[in-house]
Amino acid sequence: MRIQSYVRLAIPLGLMFFACGCTAMGVKPWQREILARPEMALNAEPIDAAIDDHIYFSKEAASGGRSFGGGGCGCN
Amino acid sequence: MQLKRPPSPLHLGLMAASCALLSGTARAQSADDAEQPLQIDADLLYYKENAGRVQTIEPVVSLKKDFGDQRLLDGTLTLDSLSGATPNGAIPARTPQTFASPSSTSLIPEPGHKTTLYTIAPGDLPQDPHFKEQRVAGDLDWSQPIGLDNTLSYGGHASTEHDFESVGAHAGLSHDFNEKNTTLSAGVNEEYDRIHAHGGNPVPGSDYMLYEKESSQTKTVTGGLIGVTQVMRRNWLMELNYAYDHSQGYLTDPYRIISVADATGAVTGYRYESRPENRTRQSLYWVNKLALGPTTLDLSYRRGKDSWSIGSDTVDAKLRIDLGSGMYVEPHARWYHQSAADFYNLYLSETAPAPNFMSADPRLAAFAATTLGIKFGVTTGRNGELSLRLEQYEQRPTDQSSALPQLQGLDLNPNLKATIVQLSWHTEY
Repeated sequence: MRIQSYVRLAIPLGLMFFACGCTAMGVKPWQREILARPEMALNAEPIDAAIDDHIYFSKEAASGGRSFGGGGCGCN
Repeated sequence: MQLKRPPSPLHLGLMAASCALLSGTARAQSADDAEQPLQIDADLLYYKENAGRVQTIEPVVSLKKDFGDQRLLDGTLTLDSLSGATPNGAIPARTPQTFASPSSTSLIPEPGHKTTLYTIAPGDLPQDPHFKEQRVAGDLDWSQPIGLDNTLSYGGHASTEHDFESVGAHAGLSHDFNEKNTTLSAGVNEEYDRIHAHGGNPVPGSDYMLYEKESSQTKTVTGGLIGVTQVMRRNWLMELNYAYDHSQGYLTDPYRIISVADATGAVTGYRYESRPENRTRQSLYWVNKLALGPTTLDLSYRRGKDSWSIGSDTVDAKLRIDLGSGMYVEPHARWYHQSAADFYNLYLSETAPAPNFMSADPRLAAFAATTLGIKFGVTTGRNGELSLRLEQYEQRPTDQSSALPQLQGLDLNPNLKATIVQLSWHTEY
């Protein structure tokens, strides 16, 4: 398992995120009318997401990444 | 009579700004959250695989209660009812193959033992036709602000099946800064599972004909996740997560076997599969939310890798198109690819010594999968919604054949197709 390869990828991505986030990116509080739309939430369809996670968990080797949640499954 | 004017864009902006200031998160929040303390979701899933394989009917009910000040209680109850045939891991053969259902206690009918046999015709994929399972799962989560810039969340889950129980807990903390344009999140989870297969858990790697079974087994999963959420523009939100988990214990599938073939490809026997007792998984998950006028794009990519040498890539895109009059349509496309586990094989060779770890589980094979679907939604009443989702999932294994004479022309690991239908109803009080 090469953890280093993930660290190598995550560090520049993280630095880019922070560098950008602290300068050009972001909005003022009065500019959030679009972001406030329910469909703009990152998990706007939580039940759909949970159902999909369960289906793919039972059919594929990889799962998760989005958040924690759901229960274990002895899926066949 | 009091007349109510529809809110102007400026009003909506001010409402949203107030909400965002109070919410303590960079994530988008509904301006109506404070006015809708109870949300109810009721869903019904129908999932059906081709070739008489598994089908599921799954009702889901979810309640979300807002106790004010962004203190939220969220509970979900899921009922699963599965039936159909499921591959047992063996490959098709030129001659009929006979197996015992897992609940049997002996392969040979004899007094004092239960034996349920099924025979697979030449050329057919061996599948246990007696698969039937019911599952009840519940989740409960609580989240609340801590000060102005932090949110604490914690919760747990429990699920039970005839042959499997799982309990788990998780906790997370997020911190907002940069005028609430950036959120850092971190969380941990712990899961404990107990596996007590029908007829007993087989001894991993043992000869199928010996039918060696043992008592119930356990496994634990310990994980962590860190993430950053960033508001990029007025219409663009992004999140990047890194997740890590470690599983330990009985990770073998108690119902899977693997064929043993001679030099010609003729099947001469079977072994129960055997997996390592440890597995470490890592993933990077990157998601973007982008508003293009009234249309919303949800685009994500996930890269995963584990200590069984399985690497995976997932690209998922949903485009929610506002049709006006409270209706929307949402096309969905997903592409997935994984490499095989280092101990995966379609079958074992009789001439080689049996390896320590072995599995022919199609879920550990190399394959590509696609999902194509569409969702149609319509608002019902105030903040209510009714939606229907139709999707088609297809899995195409990379390795499906063998050059051995007895196996030539046989589809050793067929494609899997599944239809997904989901009816959803959402309302708020």
